Amino acid sequence: MDFSHQETWLHHINPSLKLLILVVLFIQILMIHNINFLLNELIGMLILYLFFTGHPSKRLVLISLPFLLIFLTSSTSMIFFGKGETTWLHWGLVHITEESFTRGLHLGFRGIVFAVLGVVFALTTRPVFLFYSLMQQLKLKPKFAYSFMAAVRLLPLMAEEMQTLNHALKVRGVQRKKGITGFYHKLKSYSIPLLSQSIRRAHRIAVAMEAKRFSEAKSRTYYYRLGFSKYDGLFLIYLLGVTMLAYYMAVHFPYFSTTDVRYL
Amino acid sequence: MNIASVTNMRLKFPGKESLLFSDFSLSIKEGEKVLILGPSGCGKSTLLQVLSGLIPKTVDVPMKADEITVPHSWGYLFQDPDAQFCMPYVDEEIAFVLENLEVPREKMPDCITSYLRQVGLAFENNHTKISTLSGGMKQRLALASVLALEPEVIFLDEPTAMLDPDGTTQVWDTIKQIGDDKTLIIIEHKIDQIVDVVDRIILLGKNGNIIAEGPKQVIFEGYKQKLKEAGIWYPGVWDDYLEENQPDRTIEPVNNQPPAITLSDFSGYRGKKEIVHIDYAEARLGEWITVIGENGAGKSTLLLALMNLVQSAGTYDINGRDHKKVTNFAEEMAFVFQNPEYQFVTNSVYDEVAFTLRLEKREEAEISSRVSDSLHFYQLEEEQDNHPYQLSIGQKRRLSVAASLIKDQPILLLDEPTFGQDAKNTFAILEQLEQVRKRGAAILMVTHDTKVVEHFATRVWQLEDGKLIKNVPASEYPQEPVHA
Repeated sequence: MDFSHQETWLHHINPSLKLLILVVLFIQILMIHNINFLLNELIGMLILYLFFTGHPSKRLVLISLPFLLIFLTSSTSMIFFGKGETTWLHWGLVHITEESFTRGLHLGFRGIVFAVLGVVFALTTRPVFLFYSLMQQLKLKPKFAYSFMAAVRLLPLMAEEMQTLNHALKVRGVQRKKGITGFYHKLKSYSIPLLSQSIRRAHRIAVAMEAKRFSEAKSRTYYYRLGFSKYDGLFLIYLLGVTMLAYYMAVHFPYFSTTDVRYL
Repeated sequence: MNIASVTNMRLKFPGKESLLFSDFSLSIKEGEKVLILGPSGCGKSTLLQVLSGLIPKTVDVPMKADEITVPHSWGYLFQDPDAQFCMPYVDEEIAFVLENLEVPREKMPDCITSYLRQVGLAFENNHTKISTLSGGMKQRLALASVLALEPEVIFLDEPTAMLDPDGTTQVWDTIKQIGDDKTLIIIEHKIDQIVDVVDRIILLGKNGNIIAEGPKQVIFEGYKQKLKEAGIWYPGVWDDYLEENQPDRTIEPVNNQPPAITLSDFSGYRGKKEIVHIDYAEARLGEWITVIGENGAGKSTLLLALMNLVQSAGTYDINGRDHKKVTNFAEEMAFVFQNPEYQFVTNSVYDEVAFTLRLEKREEAEISSRVSDSLHFYQLEEEQDNHPYQLSIGQKRRLSVAASLIKDQPILLLDEPTFGQDAKNTFAILEQLEQVRKRGAAILMVTHDTKVVEHFATRVWQLEDGKLIKNVPASEYPQEPVHA
């Protein structure tokens, strides 16, 4: 699987800092109840996603397909069944009102902002750097950091095994069954061999790591030194700028008349 | 001076009835090159882990010993190339060792390059993905990180069991180069490439006792029968086998039967890329065709394409019928993978063999009689209630063959079925395949083993860069000089 990409300034941000900032941003976004503000924030985050991850646009489009699903699933139920006073449509159980509509959209946008931020983080952070940084800046124990890094290495191996297993089942004459029982059978026939193989691999890797004196090391040096740079400041300024601008625009140039989507 | 030793060791795996080792003593001197031989399951790997101190320090196994000497500095090369690395890139992997040893960061890049050079690896950029390396290169990288430990002793636990002949040669050549001034403790059952380095052999018995130890000539001459029983690939094992058994390579003439497989202008693909192309070839019932060629020549892809597991194009008839009309390929042919574990889909040996028959909803009485016959033929009767994963490596292989062939399909596709097997298992598998062939099946087998080509095959297909460059009866295939 090819996942090559170009490096951008987002890649050079200190991973621990990036993680913390995103967590704070998540909480801040949870507290936005003005749909205009949220929509502006979303645009600001989409700019990062579309232009600064360094990944080819085709891949970005592919990754963004699930965003649509998130949007639809999180907004429709609120739009159809939420409470509200200004009725637009009443049809059986479905009751769409102006209030429920904006609240549904708000929820949908919030889902997408979270998804975009998460994906931007994942696309611009190498797991190895993240764990090195967590060890160096946030004093994560090497025991955990290296275990995670080893586990990340196992994932592509598992994907390969899955392919082989798929072949093996076909070779044995297993015809695909449909419906829930088919899904259950598939789950059973894949999960047990994959799990047992992974457990065995994990054990072997653990022994191999010990054979390289992993736990004997009282203190350790680091191959990668992760510090801070001007890109960290840039990232912080960008996010602050976006937030302030989003708020300003929301107040002065709103798209929707509603300023608080909560039902009071 | 003893660099590693145990005295009166007793060791038992939890849940097992008997002790693996009882009152076991062994000592190894500095600078010695020791080879430990023994049948599979006799505790060779366990012994190596005890001598290195991994047991009981890392792997918790109940044990007791009057005295254990563990070398001051040592490195360990494991069998599975994919299960020794914890980092995704070459440089990071060696850096992991250097970090553990608290080597200052500034020195690391030069150290990494120097260790890589010692094992004959040179990259334009050391920041190369480990997953892009071949098996032989991975094992040499593992050796480089062993060297980074600056070890006095190197433990080698069948480091080439999962490698092809080229990779095996690369790894042993490297070990010979770097091991001169070090103590080497080796487990291996394919020994033709290392036997000249070794100066002492320790032969273990089935019950974890030392049957014999001494210089290699003494062992090879005096204990041949024991070596044979243990399934060791000692020098001359094929000659001894052929003296007692002569594989019969005559083909029963079959009249008026279309070929089992007819290929014409046939291509096999991986993704969108054409990997293998065959202008014209036939496989007839009663033939044993070995498919040979370098790595990446398209051997496995050809087999997968024949089984309809990857995309193919062109004319391909099975027993005279167009393959597009075949709905279930498993009815027509059996396929045996390199790693038998991937093939197991049930929880017991019996169910495994019965699986395909049950899929067809046969009578339980018929199933039971056919399964018993098959278990008897492949010597798995005693294991029938065990989980497939609990079997030994040879038993797993036999089970995968038994389970694939239960329907008596007339065509057999095998991807290196003797790979990583000891001598005893290899001969057992070959003999069983020979019997299946005599019953009238067509066998297509990918192999690297020239001896199999020479003594069991009736026909040879040689692939090169995805093209069939040779298709001749085995008797006409030029004998290659045996690897030195």
